[in-house]
Amino acid sequence: MISERLKSVILRELRLADVSIEASTLASEVPGWDSLKHVALLAAVEREFGVRFKTLEVMRLQNVGELDALVRKKLAAAQV
Amino acid sequence: MAETLWQRWQAVAERDLEREAVVHLRAGEPALRISRGQLLRDAERVAAQLAGYGVQPGDVCALIVRHQPGFYALYAGVVALGAVPAVLAFPNPRLHPDKFVRGLAGMAQRSGLHFVLTERELAARIAPLVSGDASSVRAVLFPLEWSEPASLPSVSSVTAVRQHAMSAAGEGADAPCVLQHSSGTTGLQKAVVLSHRAVLAHVERYAEAIALSAHDKVVSWLPLYHDMGLIAAFHLPLATGTPLVQLDPFEWIRAPVLLLEALASERATLAWLPNFAYNFMADRIHDDDVAGLDLSSLRMLINCSEPVRAASHRKFLERFASLGVSPRAMSVAYAMAETTFAVTQTLPGERARELRVSRRALERGEVVLDAGADTRACVSCGRPIRDCEVRVMDEAGEPLPEGRVGELWIRSRSLFDGYQNDPERTATALCDGFYKSGDLGFIWQAEVFVIGRKKDLIIVAGKNLSPEDIEDACAAVPGVLAGRVVAFGLDDEASGTESVCVIAESETRDPTAAAALRLAIIKAAMAIDVTVHRVELAVPRWLVKSSSGKLSRQENRARLLAGELGAARARAEEELRPA
Repeated sequence: MISERLKSVILRELRLADVSIEASTLASEVPGWDSLKHVALLAAVEREFGVRFKTLEVMRLQNVGELDALVRKKLAAAQV
Repeated sequence: MAETLWQRWQAVAERDLEREAVVHLRAGEPALRISRGQLLRDAERVAAQLAGYGVQPGDVCALIVRHQPGFYALYAGVVALGAVPAVLAFPNPRLHPDKFVRGLAGMAQRSGLHFVLTERELAARIAPLVSGDASSVRAVLFPLEWSEPASLPSVSSVTAVRQHAMSAAGEGADAPCVLQHSSGTTGLQKAVVLSHRAVLAHVERYAEAIALSAHDKVVSWLPLYHDMGLIAAFHLPLATGTPLVQLDPFEWIRAPVLLLEALASERATLAWLPNFAYNFMADRIHDDDVAGLDLSSLRMLINCSEPVRAASHRKFLERFASLGVSPRAMSVAYAMAETTFAVTQTLPGERARELRVSRRALERGEVVLDAGADTRACVSCGRPIRDCEVRVMDEAGEPLPEGRVGELWIRSRSLFDGYQNDPERTATALCDGFYKSGDLGFIWQAEVFVIGRKKDLIIVAGKNLSPEDIEDACAAVPGVLAGRVVAFGLDDEASGTESVCVIAESETRDPTAAAALRLAIIKAAMAIDVTVHRVELAVPRWLVKSSSGKLSRQENRARLLAGELGAARARAEEELRPA
């Protein structure tokens, strides 16, 4: 399960009403989430959660679940 | 004496076998440096192996592989053998597998592909192509899996292959050396045939136009299935012995800072970019990622392959001038696959000139310099390169003087030999030795300015899309009235490129059903790897036809922008309301 907050920022950035987004969802399965939009979308996620992704972290992401896990990891690290 | 590509590459290598030919980059990995000597040795090995599988001089080999170090020797190996490489895009996960195979089958039929050289991952998808009766494809091979000469198929020696290639009838400067697929995603791909002579002559003239020297180094993330990537950022470096730093397009689009990092670390001097990339990098790179980068080695950043916007240049400079990017590096070229690549180029060491002209006068087809509010900043594409001529023509095919807007016709020494297996389309595209570009522009003080398009082609982020492909995909969506769809590009100032808009007629009035239909249309376009940014549903018979009897994209686009669609919808709702 990905966080509702992550899902809502994705939907907002892609201007979608409601589309199923699960942990296993790939960017290529989501309308509007193309390679051109990808960086803007990740920037929106960064803003929403107040985190910063590194280049290599971004490269390794395979699906929405991994993005969710990365956000959680960043948030946990920030709390320490 | 006229040469072939392979002969040129050998001559270049012999000057210094150890010099870098290609620097292959991957994020997070050390740079892989391939010398000229290594590249040619590997290419000869690949050529021998290909010959063992029956590839002969003149055979067209489609290359469908991702960014990897083996690509360069594979491409060079095909060339070494005298066969003809055609680089095609590796299918994006969005592209529906059936659409990919259908597109490839169509291409095989029209272009006459003989071999598909690809990765194992695509084997199952491509296999049916070979078995089809009508297919020209003789085999699908996985050359990146071939390791050392030990696994060579039955080929006596590399030398024999080379001799075979050299003596083959097709071998010569006028034989085709590359097939370049221009526009279209699926259905209407046009394959441009270029000879060794055209490519080498072009590279020589273009190198002059950019004052290429032994101090230059090219950096590129451009895909090699695109003319800008293949000719400017691949053939030009190889044929002139200029080192090439090659990034992965898929990595760059996810982390645009990679280009700037490569530029700085390799001290590169030249790069070509489509206009959107200027906005993309200015908007999407974090400050702390570029802190300390020195970009002052950059001599020319050449904007090409989609309409050039003055605002994009300004934005890029504002963002990166502090890292050493000089305004004088802001260059522009006008290019197309049909002329091998460049038609014009701005002067090295000079910032591309901007003209402020009256919009109103432009609409009348006249260029009037104006400093007022209703003006458009037009960026110069520079002057024609040597042995290239540009004429501005009116509707009747008569030349127009400077300062008048018309279609740009081009005559070039490096003009293509025609579209492969398509004499009709070739005949339509050419007139009296000129290529009718379909682009609209003007000449001002001998410099060419491109301001729009006569044809309906959509260019998104440097990628050419045919509206027909998008319309076919959307027309198949249940709820869309048969044949009543148009697709066109809309200017997107913020991203510095075009976005795709679709207008479809439908009987649907219920808001929930309409939202579902819009989403279905977006998904249908996704299946051909096209992102539709805006879908408008129109009432039946809203779309108008042009004089040719087909739905007019340009006219319907103008009506949408004038707000006519909203008015028609309001009227329809009015009719529905009970009295």
